[in-house]
Amino acid sequence: MGDLLNGFADALTPGNLLWAFVGVTIGTAVGVLPGIGPALTVALLLPVTFRLEPAAALIMFAGIYYGGMYGGSTTSILLNTPGESASVATALEGNKMARAGRGAAALATAALGSFVAGTIGTIALSVAAPLVADIAVNFGPPEYVALMAVAFVTVSALLGPSLLKGAAGLVIGATIGLVGIDTQTGQARLAFGLPSLFDGIDVVIVVVALFALGETFAHLIAGTGGSRVEPLRGQPMLSRQDFRRSWPAWLRGTALGFPIGSLPAGGADVPTFLSYSVEKRLSKRPQEFGHGAIEGVAGPEAANNAAAAGVLVPLLTIGLPTSATAAVILTAFQSYGLQPGPQLFSESGDLVWALIASLYIGNVLLLVLNLPLARVWVRLLGIPAYGIYAGVLVFACLGAFAAGGTIADLIVLTVLGLVGLLMREAGVPVAPAVVGLILAPLAEQQLRRALALSEGDWTTLVSSPLTVALWIVVVLALVAPVVLARRRRRVSQTLDETSSTH
Amino acid sequence: MTDIEEGRPLPETPEVAHREARAAGALGVLMVVAAVVVLIDAARLRDSDDALGPAAAPTLLGILLGLLGGALAFQSRRFLRTPGSPGRRLWRLAALVVVLVAFALLLPIMGYVVSSAGLFTAAALLLGAPHPARVAAYGWTLAVVVFLVFDVLIGLSLPTGPWGF
Repeated sequence: MGDLLNGFADALTPGNLLWAFVGVTIGTAVGVLPGIGPALTVALLLPVTFRLEPAAALIMFAGIYYGGMYGGSTTSILLNTPGESASVATALEGNKMARAGRGAAALATAALGSFVAGTIGTIALSVAAPLVADIAVNFGPPEYVALMAVAFVTVSALLGPSLLKGAAGLVIGATIGLVGIDTQTGQARLAFGLPSLFDGIDVVIVVVALFALGETFAHLIAGTGGSRVEPLRGQPMLSRQDFRRSWPAWLRGTALGFPIGSLPAGGADVPTFLSYSVEKRLSKRPQEFGHGAIEGVAGPEAANNAAAAGVLVPLLTIGLPTSATAAVILTAFQSYGLQPGPQLFSESGDLVWALIASLYIGNVLLLVLNLPLARVWVRLLGIPAYGIYAGVLVFACLGAFAAGGTIADLIVLTVLGLVGLLMREAGVPVAPAVVGLILAPLAEQQLRRALALSEGDWTTLVSSPLTVALWIVVVLALVAPVVLARRRRRVSQTLDETSSTH
Repeated sequence: MTDIEEGRPLPETPEVAHREARAAGALGVLMVVAAVVVLIDAARLRDSDDALGPAAAPTLLGILLGLLGGALAFQSRRFLRTPGSPGRRLWRLAALVVVLVAFALLLPIMGYVVSSAGLFTAAALLLGAPHPARVAAYGWTLAVVVFLVFDVLIGLSLPTGPWGF
């Protein structure tokens, strides 16, 4: 706790508060644009922070991150265009509420729920992260390999419509991650003799290409310009009844979001959908679900934000990103000269605690700023689609140029944008690709290290109880969906048979 | 419509599902082609003394790409033979790709502001903007503001044309 208080002392200087304020504001402004989720917001705005000193950059970055999260839920509610799968559950009831003229209450419960979940999540993070880091210090390469295998399998199984499509996304990303010079032998892989590919393809370029260009291209060929913004009536406030219905949902959402988010698996999508079904099951008014039940906004939104804090646990302590946003955050950290992992807390403790404190400050600023400013953000949604996506293209090219610095990076951006379009059209999720892009090279590195230490003996991978347990999880995660699907099919078959005999 | 118990959005109409299956088939074919490229590239790498050489990861990924791509293509084989629906504005996509490549090539010659204003205007018009003159004005404004904020204020050095911006 003392470390966290020091972090607050670092983050609460007037200059840093200003950066947090700027970050929250532009993060919300970009995140609120339709189709732009938190991962893309963070990737697009990363160049803004490049020139700041590390502490200020981290603080502004935290603001952008939370601003992007909040902006994303505003769009989900008012436009029904969730930028990321983690806000799909929020959009379900939120958009129904907006259509029924209760958009203001939906925004308010989302904002307050984010705040509650963010507060509890930050406290849980500051308790859990040092503990996990203490355990992770003893991890050797075999443990890392097993952890990454868990992440690979769960990310492809959970972040997509099917294991096949999720795995396809993951492998596409991992292949992009191969590009560049192999660190152990100095040979270029998949660079085709192009010097600009020797350093590999920057994560920011891949994220911007797959998310932003993919989305823009999809709008272009679909010819979908206009979308319907639900008007916002009244001030975003909660009536006493709304509050009474919301707060248990916030707490339940947080209780689901943080623990699941902090597992080295899956990220933020699962808790949001779990929270939605829990709220639906527990509600005294289940008939309202599907027509705008406030619990259905409050729970998933809290779960989403608590999971966002939870995802930072494996990211900061093990260096393991489990969501697209976390993958971008990892890149941001590396560009600020921080290497997430068990040593992070002992080596750059001051900066990390300042970051955690500024995440919290960003959370407070959002609540203070955004409820009164909700109307301004809503007005941004009125910008016609052609303006938004042409502007996104300009910022995407700026981001790619800032990250890479060469013309070739812009060509790579365009090519990967076309891949992103094809993936999007094919229903292959993009998020596992980003996770694969980051994790695959790390997994290769750890596997080589493990085999070098054991002098080529592969049994080193299952040499400790923890690794054995993790590999069992891998097998279960691969087998369980198949078994469940088969059982469900059998049940529905027997149902069909019984109903047809009657 | 969304199936909440599954937690996954379902394809909305048969038409959308059909389009998705065709795209999945195309992606599958592309993945198989990429698999061949990756495997050829891996085969030409010199092996090292390590237990796991530089070719191990690309070989594994090449095989996975091929298998998954093959599975995607196989799943949607029925849809690949039927002709695509007309009216999909693929020519617009081609035009925007040309615009992006032109932006990349012109950026060092024309400078950031002119290139970006052009990119914005062309992209907005392709996306269906109604007033060319107004869009061009927006494009110039955006490019100038970005240049002032990022180059002058933040110090990210952006390419300048012969006229210094």
